[in-house]
Amino acid sequence: MQPPAPLDTDVAIETPEHIVFRHRVAGPARRFFAYLLDLLICYSALAALGALLLLLSAGAGQVLHAARDAFGAAAGVMLVALFAIQWVYFAALEGWRGATPGKSLLGLRVVTTTGRPIGYLAAALRNLLRAADALPLAYTAGLVSIAGLTSMAATRRFQRLGDLVAGTLVVVSGRVQAAAPVALSPPAQLDELESLPDEVRLDAEERLAIELFLRRRSRLGRARELELAMMIAPMLRARYAGFRAADPSRALALLYDRATRAGRRDSLPPSIRPPPWR
Amino acid sequence: MALTSAVTEGAFTARRQGDWDRLDALARKVQARGVRQLAPGEVASVSPLYLDVCADLSRARAARYSAPLVDYLEGLTAAAHSVLYGSQARGGRVAGAASRPSLRAAFDAFPRAVRRHRTAMLVSAVLFFVPFVGGLVLTLLDPAFALNVVPESMLRPLVHAYQEGFAEDRGAGLDATMAGFYVHNNVGIALRCFATGLALGVGSAFYLVENGLTTGAIMGYVGAQGAGGNIFTFVVGHGSLELGAIVLAGGAGLALGWSLVAPGSRTRLASLQATARSVMPVVFGASVMLFMAAAVEGFWSASSVPSPVKRLVGGAMFLTVVTYVLLAGRGSAKAEALERAEAAPWT
Repeated sequence: MQPPAPLDTDVAIETPEHIVFRHRVAGPARRFFAYLLDLLICYSALAALGALLLLLSAGAGQVLHAARDAFGAAAGVMLVALFAIQWVYFAALEGWRGATPGKSLLGLRVVTTTGRPIGYLAAALRNLLRAADALPLAYTAGLVSIAGLTSMAATRRFQRLGDLVAGTLVVVSGRVQAAAPVALSPPAQLDELESLPDEVRLDAEERLAIELFLRRRSRLGRARELELAMMIAPMLRARYAGFRAADPSRALALLYDRATRAGRRDSLPPSIRPPPWR
Repeated sequence: MALTSAVTEGAFTARRQGDWDRLDALARKVQARGVRQLAPGEVASVSPLYLDVCADLSRARAARYSAPLVDYLEGLTAAAHSVLYGSQARGGRVAGAASRPSLRAAFDAFPRAVRRHRTAMLVSAVLFFVPFVGGLVLTLLDPAFALNVVPESMLRPLVHAYQEGFAEDRGAGLDATMAGFYVHNNVGIALRCFATGLALGVGSAFYLVENGLTTGAIMGYVGAQGAGGNIFTFVVGHGSLELGAIVLAGGAGLALGWSLVAPGSRTRLASLQATARSVMPVVFGASVMLFMAAAVEGFWSASSVPSPVKRLVGGAMFLTVVTYVLLAGRGSAKAEALERAEAAPWT
């Protein structure tokens, strides 16, 4: 039984093993900053190259002709480097590793719509079409891309035109560390155990809601913590009538602990469901 | 629906964490240093570990383990998936077939792709050369016409330069600067000309007409001032490469735009994606042609080599380019027709 699809920016990808995993799609803001970062890296490198070439050609000789030739060659190299920044840098790095340095730093990666690495052809395509995404303001170095933003807003996977044509999307690849299961602290006291039912059944949605609450509660103010706990505690209190605890938040922790540790049983969904909290 | 599971989350995690960490380390190694850095034993272990983690993920979901654990396993599966599976292009090949694109294959792929989209290429040539000839003839009849197209401040120095001729070399330094400029400017124009074809071909058409008209007007203006021979000598060396490449890149853009207008039996998006992949060899090829043109234009066209030699070489270059595009890499007529039908089902 699948819960209704949440309003979220995930895409589901099914592997040949029939495992479905989700990628978090990256939004325009994060991608814009990654792009800025890349431009910063590129133009810093260009400036460094320029300074180096200037020094080299200044040292090239006292003879007028030699110096002039050296400066000329340096200017030529700089122009080719500028070309590489505009048309080669993104395509080459994304084709090679799936991300430019700017994207890596912000935890972004480009994958195909089937979740695979993109390869050079798709990388070249999506980056060539940056010029189409920049329309109608074609000469803003992609910083103001009206066509691209429109396309991102209109597609479910935030694809700009280049992404659509190349069949790619940008995902957030930051991986979560395995979190420890929620522990009950302090451990259950004798008086609490007295009234705690032997068997607690929670359905999947309840478990998830309580778990996410328990993980967050240390970062909430006390009043807010109780307020949130009160939204679900009465429902459970009705189910386990004899159970008493110091406060609703503690009650949820105890019930959750009993439900997940001892017995490990999930209840059938209650026949009368509370309205969804989303 | 199985409601009970024998293992608590803690026990499950404790038992499986070792394998997860091993797969995680392998995935990170590949991401940081590439798949070739794996030892043979490591390569062999990726697949079984991945399958086990897939099973763990299913188990964790079925047993309703906590959300962070499921998220972690999803992330691990996704990372391992991108290590195990290559991009579609690589995945599609049959084992034992030539697995790396060779220079030879690329050499053939370019003209084949051009011929595959010959209608678009012909339209592109018309869009470029009709304004070109128009600009040339109108300017020769009345030199003032050029001023409508190109600012006078740009025309004057050009006329001046061509009237001087090529008696003296301009120096290696300036040659290199100009070559760099041609790479930056011309390849940039060609790529933009291709990319903006996405707007139903309008962008490509604009760049083609605009460049054709300006080029024609400039040549006509310089010719009208009595330096026609010089500018012809200058252009003939790299012209076939440079103008040819612009026309081909524009044609690729037009094909892209047309695939949206007339997608045939595909959806518009699928048609666009298929055509884009099919024209990419043209875009790469045109870029290489422009690199070559930049080198010729920078170091040869303005040199003091006598004019008849330049014209002879230019003629040979023209013949080479035309022969290459029309004839190189010809497969059987049947194979080419099949390729063509696959790439452009609307024709």
